[in-house]
Amino acid sequence: MATAAIEANGLVKRYGDVTAVAGIDLTVAAHSIYALVGPNGAGKTTTINMLTTLTPPTAGHVRVAGYDVQRQARQVRQCIGVTFQDIVLDGDLTGRQVLDIHGKLYRMSRQERKRRITELVQLVQLEDVLDRCVKTYSGGMKRRLELARGLLTNPQVLFLDEPTQGLDPQNRVGIWNYIRHLNREHGLTLLLTTHYMEEAEMLAHTVGIIDRGLLVVEGKPADLVATLGANVIRIHGQGDRRHFIQQLGNLPFVDRVQVDEQDSVVQVYVDNGNRRLVEIVQAASGNGFRVEEIAVAQPGLSDVFLRYTGHALRD
Amino acid sequence: MYATYVIWSKHMTKFFHSTEEALGLALQSVLWVVLFGVGMRGIVTQVEGRDYLTFILPGIIALSALAGSVGGGIMLLDERLRGITREYLVSPIPRLSILLGNAASTSTKALLQALLMLVIGMLMGVRLTGNPLGWLMALLLVALFTLGFSGLALAVASVSRSIMGYHGMIFLLNLPLLFASNALYPLDVLPAWMRTLVLFNPTTYLIDAVRSLAFGAQPSLVLTNSIAIVTVFAAIGMWLALSAFRRSIRS
Repeated sequence: MATAAIEANGLVKRYGDVTAVAGIDLTVAAHSIYALVGPNGAGKTTTINMLTTLTPPTAGHVRVAGYDVQRQARQVRQCIGVTFQDIVLDGDLTGRQVLDIHGKLYRMSRQERKRRITELVQLVQLEDVLDRCVKTYSGGMKRRLELARGLLTNPQVLFLDEPTQGLDPQNRVGIWNYIRHLNREHGLTLLLTTHYMEEAEMLAHTVGIIDRGLLVVEGKPADLVATLGANVIRIHGQGDRRHFIQQLGNLPFVDRVQVDEQDSVVQVYVDNGNRRLVEIVQAASGNGFRVEEIAVAQPGLSDVFLRYTGHALRD
Repeated sequence: MYATYVIWSKHMTKFFHSTEEALGLALQSVLWVVLFGVGMRGIVTQVEGRDYLTFILPGIIALSALAGSVGGGIMLLDERLRGITREYLVSPIPRLSILLGNAASTSTKALLQALLMLVIGMLMGVRLTGNPLGWLMALLLVALFTLGFSGLALAVASVSRSIMGYHGMIFLLNLPLLFASNALYPLDVLPAWMRTLVLFNPTTYLIDAVRSLAFGAQPSLVLTNSIAIVTVFAAIGMWLALSAFRRSIRS
């Protein structure tokens, strides 16, 4: 097998006049976790649908686990696991039946199904409810069951579309732990999409930021953050913002100034936040801008997102 | 076609899980035969020299097969709208097996219903032929017919955007298929134009064949033709379903 678990070149999907994915190149190394981050409607799900053989691309090529998704769809399907953005479970079946039927679709033998189900149910902690109808499960239990289903067939690559959407913090951390465990202990390659920056930051070896159907930047989370500068100073205020920003740009210690129009926050990237705070407040007051709130922070992935897309990521 | 079997058994598990559905189906059969049979008996006693209940029982069986197929379509539509079909679509199974699994479970239910109706009919005095092979053939034809009509229903379900839209479209098919057939009245009494119309309806061939195979009536149509037509109808139905389904998943 090639070293890349997923290789996409020039991926495009158009629905009539609407372009959902405008040309994405993507490489996911085997045994790594890749997070596709972006707001709703950015093209994440469409991309996943193309990678998982659900939707044929309008243009471009994809290889998953070495197989072409269009010409060798069956082989691709055989070696991937997928969980979808919305919960896709039959409420009238029990958890055990859901898993068992899934295993049968992949022609797993009875003993193998039994063994895997026991193993996975232990992993996702659903032993107690396995023989209850799925409709009695909580949202977190359903997600965990879906995760177990995606893993049942021992996939080489697991696709998770918004795996923690709508979950409470406790369940979310639980899912994160499973994901990390699977990657570390079993070398599973994972591609997940999320619109939670912290999720990408916590889990991914590589993050790809997707906006309006394009992959705007890609890299290790730490590297992406490091390009921004040591600290970021966030300023809320009133007054002549444009002039103020111009002034800031002239200061020697300022790396970059970024404005999030929607929140009207001015973000100033500097070499040392604590030391420069006072100078920045001074620059403001001398230029007709009144600072109402100011804070020094470590830049994170959400700042990377703002930098490359020009707008903040919101739920 | 192992995947077809898996999907079929999933539907059957769900069917026996849900007491309402199983009970509803059974009750429906009983009510149809008892109420309709008894009610009509008051005004019509004999058709073609036979008891009227014996005459219309094949018609009622065909009708419930139609109703069952409509239900099967709803099942696919529901799975499609809720996204459950995607679990099948990302798994390494042929697309046709998704449809065949659905149609097979619909046929199974229709057969169970037909059996139940035959038993009730017999309790009410309907007489079958002495030839069990004929019964089997008749049941086989009911299964094939259900496959065919399931195909139409599944084709509609593959393109519908809502349950309401599906019902609207399917209603247009369902009633004419019943009334423009020989289910309730013999072919001979129909005026020429309606006879022509009725002969375009596959339901007519099913009913005529079942009447002769299971109930020993003199067939009004050539039996082998009827069997062939029902078989072709099954194939066409499934082909329509597959092409509509393929189109819907290609977007």
